[in-house]
Amino acid sequence: MMATMSRRGGAKIRPPRRGLQGADVDFDTTWPILEGAFKEIHTKNASALSFEELYRNAYKIVLKKKGEELYNKVARFEEQWLGSTVRTEIVRTLTPPLTLTDGAGRTLATSSERRTAGEKFLKSLKHAWEDYQVCMGMLTDVLMYMDRVYCTDHRQPSIFAKSMGLFRDQILRTPVQPASTTLLDVLTRIVLDQIQMDRDGEAIDQFLIKSNVYMLEGLYESDLEVEDEKLYLRFEKVFLDQSANFYRDEGERMLKESDAGSYCRHAKKRIDEENDRCRSTLSESTSAKIQAVVEGELIRHKMKGLIEMENSGVAFMVDNDKFHELSLVFDLEARVDPRKSELTRAMQRLVTEMGTDINNAALTTSEATPQREAAGDDEDGKPAEEGAKQKLPAKPLSQQTVAALKWVEEILRLKDRFDKICTTSFSSDQTVSSAINRSMADVVNTFSRGSEYISLFIDDNMKRGIRDKTEAEIDSTLEKAIMVLRYLSDKDLFETYYKKHLCKRLLLKKSVSIDVEKQMISRMKIELGNSFTLKLEAMFKDMTLSEELSNGFRAHIAGVMDGAHNNSKPVDLSIRVLTSMTWPLEAFRGASGEDRDENSLGGRDITLYPPEIERLKSGFERFYAQKYSGRKLTWYNNMGDADLRARFPRSTRIHDVNCSTYAMLILLLFNDLPAGESLSLEEIEARTNIPRGDLARNLQSLAVAPKTRFLVKEPMSRDINSGDRFKFNDDFKPSFIKIKVGVVSAGNKVENDRERKETEKKNNDSRGFVIEAAVVRIMKQRKQLPHAQLLTETITQLSHQFKPDVNMIKKRIEGLIEREYLERMEDAPVPSYKYLA
Amino acid sequence: MADTVLGKHQLERALYEEKKAVSSGRLKEENPLDTSADFRRFCEACRRGDLRVCQEQISKGININSRDEFDYTPLILASLCGHYEVAQMLLEQGALCERDTFQGERCLYNALNDRIRNLLLSYDYSKATDALQPLAAHITSLLTRDSPKTADIAVHTGEATLDLHKFVLSARSPFFAHKLAAAPETTSWRLASNVHPRSFETCIRYLYLGDVGADLGDGEEEQGVLKGIEKMSRQLEIPELFENILHPGDRRQARQRRTEELEKGRDQMARWFQRNVLKHKVEVAREKANDVKWDRDNSIFADVLLRADEEDDEAEEDVSAVQPLEPAERVRRTDGPLNGIPIGPSSQQAARSPSRRRNPKRSVLYPCHRAMLLRSEVFATMFASPFREGQEGKHLHIVPVDCAPDVLEVILTFLYTEKADFSLGLALDVLQAADMLFIEKLKQRAALLISTLGNGSASVVESENPRGETDLEDLINIYDVIRASWDTRVHRLEEFGARYIAYRLERYIDEPQFKELVQESASRIKARQETDTVELIDDIRYYLSDRFRLRFEDTGLDEMMDESNDGAVSATTENGKDSGAKAGHDDEGYSGSPPEAVGDGLAPDLEHLETQGVVRTLDGEIAGDEFAQDAINYQILLGKIERLMENLGLDG
Repeated sequence: MMATMSRRGGAKIRPPRRGLQGADVDFDTTWPILEGAFKEIHTKNASALSFEELYRNAYKIVLKKKGEELYNKVARFEEQWLGSTVRTEIVRTLTPPLTLTDGAGRTLATSSERRTAGEKFLKSLKHAWEDYQVCMGMLTDVLMYMDRVYCTDHRQPSIFAKSMGLFRDQILRTPVQPASTTLLDVLTRIVLDQIQMDRDGEAIDQFLIKSNVYMLEGLYESDLEVEDEKLYLRFEKVFLDQSANFYRDEGERMLKESDAGSYCRHAKKRIDEENDRCRSTLSESTSAKIQAVVEGELIRHKMKGLIEMENSGVAFMVDNDKFHELSLVFDLEARVDPRKSELTRAMQRLVTEMGTDINNAALTTSEATPQREAAGDDEDGKPAEEGAKQKLPAKPLSQQTVAALKWVEEILRLKDRFDKICTTSFSSDQTVSSAINRSMADVVNTFSRGSEYISLFIDDNMKRGIRDKTEAEIDSTLEKAIMVLRYLSDKDLFETYYKKHLCKRLLLKKSVSIDVEKQMISRMKIELGNSFTLKLEAMFKDMTLSEELSNGFRAHIAGVMDGAHNNSKPVDLSIRVLTSMTWPLEAFRGASGEDRDENSLGGRDITLYPPEIERLKSGFERFYAQKYSGRKLTWYNNMGDADLRARFPRSTRIHDVNCSTYAMLILLLFNDLPAGESLSLEEIEARTNIPRGDLARNLQSLAVAPKTRFLVKEPMSRDINSGDRFKFNDDFKPSFIKIKVGVVSAGNKVENDRERKETEKKNNDSRGFVIEAAVVRIMKQRKQLPHAQLLTETITQLSHQFKPDVNMIKKRIEGLIEREYLERMEDAPVPSYKYLA
Repeated sequence: MADTVLGKHQLERALYEEKKAVSSGRLKEENPLDTSADFRRFCEACRRGDLRVCQEQISKGININSRDEFDYTPLILASLCGHYEVAQMLLEQGALCERDTFQGERCLYNALNDRIRNLLLSYDYSKATDALQPLAAHITSLLTRDSPKTADIAVHTGEATLDLHKFVLSARSPFFAHKLAAAPETTSWRLASNVHPRSFETCIRYLYLGDVGADLGDGEEEQGVLKGIEKMSRQLEIPELFENILHPGDRRQARQRRTEELEKGRDQMARWFQRNVLKHKVEVAREKANDVKWDRDNSIFADVLLRADEEDDEAEEDVSAVQPLEPAERVRRTDGPLNGIPIGPSSQQAARSPSRRRNPKRSVLYPCHRAMLLRSEVFATMFASPFREGQEGKHLHIVPVDCAPDVLEVILTFLYTEKADFSLGLALDVLQAADMLFIEKLKQRAALLISTLGNGSASVVESENPRGETDLEDLINIYDVIRASWDTRVHRLEEFGARYIAYRLERYIDEPQFKELVQESASRIKARQETDTVELIDDIRYYLSDRFRLRFEDTGLDEMMDESNDGAVSATTENGKDSGAKAGHDDEGYSGSPPEAVGDGLAPDLEHLETQGVVRTLDGEIAGDEFAQDAINYQILLGKIERLMENLGLDG
């Protein structure tokens, strides 16, 4: 189209309609129109004004390069308007209750007077501000062109920003009277005063204050309107300072006057109040800051005192199960410290204290035991003991066991208690509960007999505790045991004990239910890992294998009997073949430990058997050798028992006698002895080769215990001494058909100190091997490693078994270097090792 | 979308698939073949980087996205030849460069340098908006806009109610057009009641040119909604809506359909605007203008009257603007109409005939819809303000707009239809008015119109008549243009003005108005305190060197001064002028006309200069050697500027 027109040549570009050269300026006629209109706007008479007219006039002025003049005129107009009309209006509301102050700057009027006057002032300021905003909005609309063109080009603040600055200068920053405070100070003081009233419980007009806060938030320190230079921040600072003072005083007063519980409640209330206040009265942006102030003053600096408060602090709360108050404490603490260190520390202290009490109590009980036992032994030991062992299935427990049971129960109760506090009061907080758990673990681990006691606890339950229990109860018992076990760091020590106890349970058939035993093992497997239960499972396996072996042997014997001559008495043999590494056989020797000597160690198979027994023994050995070639059987007679059929002169019936293998051997000697003759101790020893200790114990059962006094001892005394002579007791009159000869052999008792040292030593030895193995494993993989890293890695690897001692590791490393598994690296910057393979 | 450029094999595959899609009718051909002479000229201009010819051809109505017989589109040519400005202009005018299309990727692939490639990427369709999108977005936004209240009818279906605009409904839906024509005062309407609210909403969004999303719920709900849409689109007589929803396609298809829809919607609005707003404008004597009373319930649903006063006759005589115009008055009192410039085909007669009566002091009132006027920020503020215009009266407010009726008509047309086709004659007025009303886009269009008028070295007229005497100076008053560019802060126009003057400096340099202009420029700079130089003079110097540079570059100064060689050189140059492709002149778009312009323009100056004794060696001999002449002319002009500055007491 354009081209067409151009070709016609007729179309010229029309000159713009107005002269733009700026030669003529009717500013002086235009400005009065605008000024008049502005006045109308400020007096709320704008509805009759024409936007178009005003806009056009302003537009033209700017177009004629008079923008600056217009801008300044408007600013001056606003300045005047604010300075005269608006300010007078506000200053008039400054009534005596607000201005009367004593020397210290405090007002003398009553609070209600101050409130009314303050509200009046706030109201007038609020109105002035809101009106001014509306009016300036309208003005800005009209002056849009000026804003866009003049202000942008000349880098002036927009007229709106400019006028807001004027409001700040004319209204807020101008002194009320010469050399007196500004309205901003007055405003700050009044608002703070009102807030103080609010804190003291008087009702105030929150909305009114909020409006004034809006104003402060809308104004800036300078015309640049930098975001972090709002006037409000100035007020906020004063407000925060004042609040800090207030709460510091209040906190101190409360700490003196009230107990911890009500303090917490009050602090909580204050925090909520301030939160609400920020929402309803002040600015949301202050919320976090005032929160911090209140928390700082009421909680952070006071928390320690609060927690340790006598008769109402945390200890008191725990003692009295004040769950709600504990949760308050927790809430408060959580506000100021995400790690809740004060509370955590307090709780840990409590756990440790209570745990130590339990440990000490257990120690006292166990130490009291030997005395009382000794006392019992001195007075009427024999009947009590033997009665206990023979008659009652639920024999009274030894004090040690009682102590162990009690200890475990107490530990569990302690744990339950703190668990409950954690869930109900601390909303299951991870930090606190793990800290408590750590303390629990410390408690368990500081108790030197922890491992043994736990094992004993299980042992007791296996033997008696679970007898009449339902499945669910058994389950919970097992769970409890595992729970305590979890705290234990020396798992290997526990393993040693458990193996020992389990061994006895299995061999002596003391266990109530093999199923439950297996359950326990599988739980431990879950908890402690496969390797931990490997040996325990092997023990069970041995048991089953032995069962099969015995049956197989029985069948074999039967076959031989059928084919061969049938004159010998059938002797039934039931055998347990135990893998030597898995079974803690020394436990049994340990039971007769006091007179164990080389004889019993080296001469296990020097025991002399009567021919029929000897035949049986060698028969089995052959049978076994057939089945498993290359294995060596070692006989543990001291662990076996035997069933005999016996006739007694004073009884007409055949009695079944159950006694230990050794007792059987002794009795068999008297079988062949002519009536009336006797054997001396030395003779018996020579003919049986039974170790002296075992011999004495067995003779004691046979010659001293009244229920099984098959032999008569010369002289009659409780102890067996060399030179004593024994002969068959013709007067023995059994009262039952089945007679069980008990052997004075210990059940699963708590070890005495020597035994414990023994166990620990053994344990340390085995730890040594484990450590060496771990070190070699690590080095084999890494080839070379700095010393420190090797240490940490070793500790991590072993942590699920036990907490290795650093010195021990060092020693082991030395040992490995000597044996040339490792060598020190000479040229390494840090001490390092190299694996030699 | 990856910013990497696809490989050649990928392009070929894309082409194959696109061809298949086009031939099967799934896709509209976006780059139709155009072998017309005009298009060839256009392509040629794109090759050479001739901004002006490009603009000329585009304003002739050429499809900017066509391709030539070698499958080149103008955009590809421009970017291949490295003409950044041309490429930018093409993109601004709607040339497509879309990723994932063959032509788009090819364009990127061929871009001469990274600068152009980045330009192309920045105009990728997904980021750029359709030219009509602002209009559509505005109309759609009316649905959610609360203040000022512009809705005049409440439409109910079932429980859903929407506040709508009668003029939109009437323009977009034949159903409503019919019903509302019968009862224009209706303020509430009940449509079929048992329609899913979602369907209702979708239909209304469609009427308001909104993007009708494909998300209509799922499963049964979707069925319900679709049924509702089907029903309502039949009732409202907008069957395309339902069809569109039923055939969603890929991104490109959806876009094409959307573009079509928008165009259709725009045409509907334009038609409605013509038949109602423009048809109902009222012409009255100026003093009676404010007494016109229009009821709120009028047949075209207008809610405001815009008043424009006609221009004085004297103003019309002021065309050359050599003298400062008469003092402008606050409310302009002019007599008689101007010898108007056609505005639009249909309104032309209506606009013209009454003014022919030469009745003094006429005003024209246009019944308008505030909803559309809101597109101007000034109107938006006005109608939302608590001032008189923001209140509702019994009769419609009459709002004066400080411009001529024909200019107001251009503005209204733009606001209602996004169309901005107006004559060069109105351009400055439109520029000014658009600036006053904050209609940025219209401002740019006006500036574009003026600045593409002449490319500095040649004018529209000269390009057709290389040695003709017709001068552009008669067409525009460059002083006005530059002042307007300052007033309206359109940089592009400032540059244009400086270039324009630089290429005709000998004509202007001695004019007193030029001196004034330089002074004004200097004073502007002082006010800004940005730099010590006079911007206008700097620009003119820059373009002056531009103007003479090509000659120096090609031959070198020594050679130029060596007059023994000039015969051959000048012969080459003479030939080169006509072909525009020889002698290495073709790398710039100036096809050799300046020498004539300079020569012609300088003739009087040379005499003038001689009498002043500045260039003593300047005689008839020199006129035969254009290079030497250029060099000397260049020096003369620079010297003149220097002197002018000295006289004015300015630095730089």
